[in-house]
Amino acid sequence: MLSYKQNPDPSGLHSRRMNRKKDKGFEICINNINFQRKSVIGYVELTIFPTVMNLNRIKLNSKQCRIYRVRVNDLEAPFIYNDPTLEVCHHESKQRNLNYFSSAYTAAVSAVDPDAGNGELSIKVPSELWKQGDEMKVMKVYIEFSLDQPKGGLHFVVPDVDGSMAERAAHVFSFGNQNSTRFWFPCVDSYSELCTWKLEFTVDASMVAVSCGDLVETVYTHDMRKKTFHYMLPIPTAAPNISLAVGPFEILVDPYMHEVTHFCLPQLLPLLKQTMSYLHEIFEFYEEILTCRYPYSCFKTVFVDEAYVQVSSYASMSIFSTNLLHSGMIIDQTPVTRRCLAQALAQQFFGCFISRMSWSDEWVLKGISGYIYGLYLKKTFGVNEYRHWIKEELDKIVEYELKMGGVLLHPTFSGGKEKDNPTPHLHFSIRHPHTLSWEYYKMFQCKAHLVMRLIENRISMEFMLQVFNKLLSLASTASSQKYQSHMWSQMLVSTSGFLKSISNVSGKDIGPLIKQWVDQSGVVKFFGSFAFNRKRNVLELEIRQDYTSSGTQKYVGPIKVTVQELDGSFNHTLQIEENSLKHDIPCHSKSRRNKKKKIPLMNGEEVDMDLSAMDADSPLLWIRIDPDMSILRKVEFEQADFMWQYQLRFERDVVAQEEAISALEIFPTPASRLALTDILEQDQCFYKVRIQACFCLAKIANSMMSTWTGPPAMKSLFTRMFCCKSCPNIVKTNNFINFQSYFLQKTMPVAMALLRDVQNLCPKEVLNFILDLIKYNDNRKNKFSDNYYRAELIDALTNSLTPAISINNEVRTVDNLNTDVRLILEEITRFLNMEKLLPSYRNTITVSCLRAIRMLQKNGHIPSDPSLFKSYAQYGHFVDVRIAALEAVIDYTRGTHFVLTTNFLCLSFSMLGKLGPFSWSGIFFIFQLVCLLQRLGHNTISPNLMLIFSIYREVLHPSYVQKLFSFIIFIKERYSFTILTGKS
Amino acid sequence: MADSVVMGSGSLNSGSRSGSSKTSTSPTDNYQLARRRTLQVVVSSLLTECGFESAEKAAMETLTEMMQSYITEVGRCAKATCEHTARSTPTLSDVVITLVEMGFNVDTLPVYAKRSQRMVITAPPITNASVVPKALIAGQKRTHPTYIPSHFPEFPDPHTYIKTPTFREPVSDYQVVREKAASQRRDVERALTRFMAKTGETESLFKDDISAFPLIAAKPSAIPYLSALLPSELELQTLEETDSSEQDDQTDTENNSSNVSQDDQSADKENVVLPPGGVVPTGKANEENMIDNPYLRPVKKPKVRRKK
Repeated sequence: MLSYKQNPDPSGLHSRRMNRKKDKGFEICINNINFQRKSVIGYVELTIFPTVMNLNRIKLNSKQCRIYRVRVNDLEAPFIYNDPTLEVCHHESKQRNLNYFSSAYTAAVSAVDPDAGNGELSIKVPSELWKQGDEMKVMKVYIEFSLDQPKGGLHFVVPDVDGSMAERAAHVFSFGNQNSTRFWFPCVDSYSELCTWKLEFTVDASMVAVSCGDLVETVYTHDMRKKTFHYMLPIPTAAPNISLAVGPFEILVDPYMHEVTHFCLPQLLPLLKQTMSYLHEIFEFYEEILTCRYPYSCFKTVFVDEAYVQVSSYASMSIFSTNLLHSGMIIDQTPVTRRCLAQALAQQFFGCFISRMSWSDEWVLKGISGYIYGLYLKKTFGVNEYRHWIKEELDKIVEYELKMGGVLLHPTFSGGKEKDNPTPHLHFSIRHPHTLSWEYYKMFQCKAHLVMRLIENRISMEFMLQVFNKLLSLASTASSQKYQSHMWSQMLVSTSGFLKSISNVSGKDIGPLIKQWVDQSGVVKFFGSFAFNRKRNVLELEIRQDYTSSGTQKYVGPIKVTVQELDGSFNHTLQIEENSLKHDIPCHSKSRRNKKKKIPLMNGEEVDMDLSAMDADSPLLWIRIDPDMSILRKVEFEQADFMWQYQLRFERDVVAQEEAISALEIFPTPASRLALTDILEQDQCFYKVRIQACFCLAKIANSMMSTWTGPPAMKSLFTRMFCCKSCPNIVKTNNFINFQSYFLQKTMPVAMALLRDVQNLCPKEVLNFILDLIKYNDNRKNKFSDNYYRAELIDALTNSLTPAISINNEVRTVDNLNTDVRLILEEITRFLNMEKLLPSYRNTITVSCLRAIRMLQKNGHIPSDPSLFKSYAQYGHFVDVRIAALEAVIDYTRGTHFVLTTNFLCLSFSMLGKLGPFSWSGIFFIFQLVCLLQRLGHNTISPNLMLIFSIYREVLHPSYVQKLFSFIIFIKERYSFTILTGKS
Repeated sequence: MADSVVMGSGSLNSGSRSGSSKTSTSPTDNYQLARRRTLQVVVSSLLTECGFESAEKAAMETLTEMMQSYITEVGRCAKATCEHTARSTPTLSDVVITLVEMGFNVDTLPVYAKRSQRMVITAPPITNASVVPKALIAGQKRTHPTYIPSHFPEFPDPHTYIKTPTFREPVSDYQVVREKAASQRRDVERALTRFMAKTGETESLFKDDISAFPLIAAKPSAIPYLSALLPSELELQTLEETDSSEQDDQTDTENNSSNVSQDDQSADKENVVLPPGGVVPTGKANEENMIDNPYLRPVKKPKVRRKK
């Protein structure tokens, strides 16, 4: 039973103004949670302060709940329940295409948007109270409700084994995309409606109910078989930030911070201890930079199975996927999990404690939490990792926007007309978080934190942190006030408020920056080239822009260019203006005079360089455009191969090194080879750069195939670094204490397997080398698990595969198996079978084996057959395995001329019913949709799909329609799907 | 039981003697039984000759006993006679004298033996003397040296007293050791997985030959995350081992020499290898009691409502 008290203020329902009634207290009580039937019974009580006269109708949000009775101030009140998203398009509708669906869906979501004072549940205030309403007196709304087999909002995990529910590790937790709290109790489901909460959950005595706020007390029921958890959340919080998790959790009080409690499923406590051992550092970091204490009096982390997303943050608690837990022997998962924890904690400050005024202010919250998370990354993982991450994020957003069109951070919906949709090309509306494409929202968050970084560049980090501190301290002052003081709006952030405090604190005008990146979508695309004018000793730089293609915008303003000359490194700030393409940059050094002089670098270091490769007439070593990534841009810059090589070797910035490596791919020369090899060998060099160099070297080696001398690329290097001195064909026993070399050791074989000889086959030498690595792999004396390493060795085998030579389309049998393939298959079989006896962490090895088998099938070495993958895709396998298996099945449907049968479709849908929510965000659903889309006419929802929509309404519950929808778009985006013409 | 022996059948109906025949199994017993049975047959045939058709069992037994006593007496006396003349083997004349002494008219014997209506009784089957199995002979037995007389027992098989050298130089070549360890592990793994595959359900990559590359069938489990996240026992074991003995430096020479001597360094190693901040203080147990965390507090009893 859950019982909560929310005090929503459904005020302005009639006034159409944004400030509705203020609901200032909310009480929710759930007094029965039935795991067997997956049902919940409870009631809510809202205390409402009317802010308008004539309040005779109260609108609340509620989906899928069954409402038994509603009382207002102890008087029975009639109510109407209508959820327009249940049937987005009517059956009789003639128009059946995505655009129509999109607009109908947007209209349905708008019709229940709490920010506009709408809701699914409309309660008529009894006429006896009208008079009271006119006097703006407090009203109490009491709603009894139940929830049966919820499809969204709450997720029940009930493993199918014997024993009591606690023994079975059955648990339930809340989840949802943005404001989805209405799925599990009636409320005002808006981020801008704050209220205080009192929550009560009566659960089985063997279970623990974890929810927001302070646990006041736990009391047994009279029969002593159940207990009630009483929570109080005195800090005003929006309903979407309320969550619940109930299960037979093991409890760990953080050894460093006793007010922090961690919960995990039975048997996982040792992993929880290990995983949580550094959480206090993250706390300390954030509190220090924000000079603000963590706003809630306690913090809880809960690790659940089948989590909707890896991390979700709610007021004073976070729900994580149990798959983030790891033991101390796992290397690869550790940084990933730490990042997740850091993200969750950043969102506690900005997102949970500080909420947003409206959907169009979302970018501020996402931006700030992403930005401070970045600062944590910088501090914990180092500047290299941070810059690498920024580059990665920048590349991602640039790629997305150039391909899919712009991402708009701060959309303004002035006219309120649907046609004003700023991004009509995307087939979806960005008006509501629920109509958004999943992928788009990810990119939105990515862009938001990058823009925050741009603001930091402009006003300095110090001011930036002052702004955050100001927001937080205003909010915490407001949070301790009563509702009547009208201070609570301080806890909501808005774009204008945020910009105002920036200008107050820094005194700088960042208007142009905001206009460029926040109010406007698109990125900048630069093309650069240069010429050196020897007579004038001037560098003539030409920077052009492409601002006509989709997803681009025109940039006007300063741009930084760094020129490394013989006499040192020099920064120049150029003005990009309307029509000027060419920029003259005077050079400081004459072409080389003092041959022996050391060359000063940007960081003050002085190094010796072998200058024989460079142009004797020019003092230029390399040129970088916008080295600090202070514009959201893509730069395609042309410079000579030796300049890229110098840049790779001597520029100390990892971003520059990575750019140089990608540029060198098109220069397959011995000099490039040497530069890459040198980088590979240099252990001071950032390991991710070295990893990238491996793959680049493999590409170059393939391009240089005919002139390549010596052993296959990287082989001798690997031998020198990781093999025994006395017998070079045997790898040393594993010792992964040095993580950098561990990552390199993992990656090199994968890259080497990409090498090809003249016949376009993987060289025999390389294959045998990899097989030897597998053979001699010995982890007995290693402190760390080698599961990721072994998985990558299997990936290496996969990479070595090339298409089979098929004679007359013969059927693949065991007898005509190629000998090399036989060896590979032997290894894969053994690995896959061993995994059943000694499973590896996260089943990484199974995942790699499945990929390898699919690759063998795809290349025609073994018969193409999806049945193996289907068995691994079933519910009950570890989620990573299922995803890998589904990817293989999808690949199968794409690779062969897949004939879609009705049976297959039915099978797919019967499988759909069994899915947990994680699968919806996973690949399984895509697979289903690939099948569906093949039945669709071009850009049209066929009658069949409509039929399926209606038949499987249970499965495609409203909570998923939005996801379904965004997935259709996602598939179109991702797979550039050619949709066959459908026949009805 | 009224036992009757059917005369004239000549068959040895041993059914009546089943009680003893079951228990007597030794060769001597067998012999005596066979002899007695033969005597019975003889008595029966003589009776048949004399015109009897049936006889009571007791009568038969008595006659047989008399016959046996008589023959025994003949034998005993013949032996005595022969020994009396300082010989060891009785001759025909000894028997004749005996018979004469016992008052038997020897001259009638040839006539009686050649009578026309006599019945011929086949000799009892000769049971094969059971062969004592020969002990396994391994190697060549040694012959006696000259100073040991030949009637002394032979030497036992050489393997019982000659030692065979089984000791070989331990392989210390690093490459060979690694090679061996690798192939050993691989063999074990392959054998184990093949066994598992043979004894359980499998999936196959080839439709035509299901036995080639058998894959153990994937079975969904109710709680899949447990096996995927918890370290396997093998890994835990490894962890314990590596915790107690520090990882050896990976030079080739050290790899093949045992790392026992390095144990003493292990104490301070643990802190070094963990990622920053990864060490949880272990001495927190005492403080645990002092922690005031709402989830550790005891659950309250419900308040008793008084009914008024």
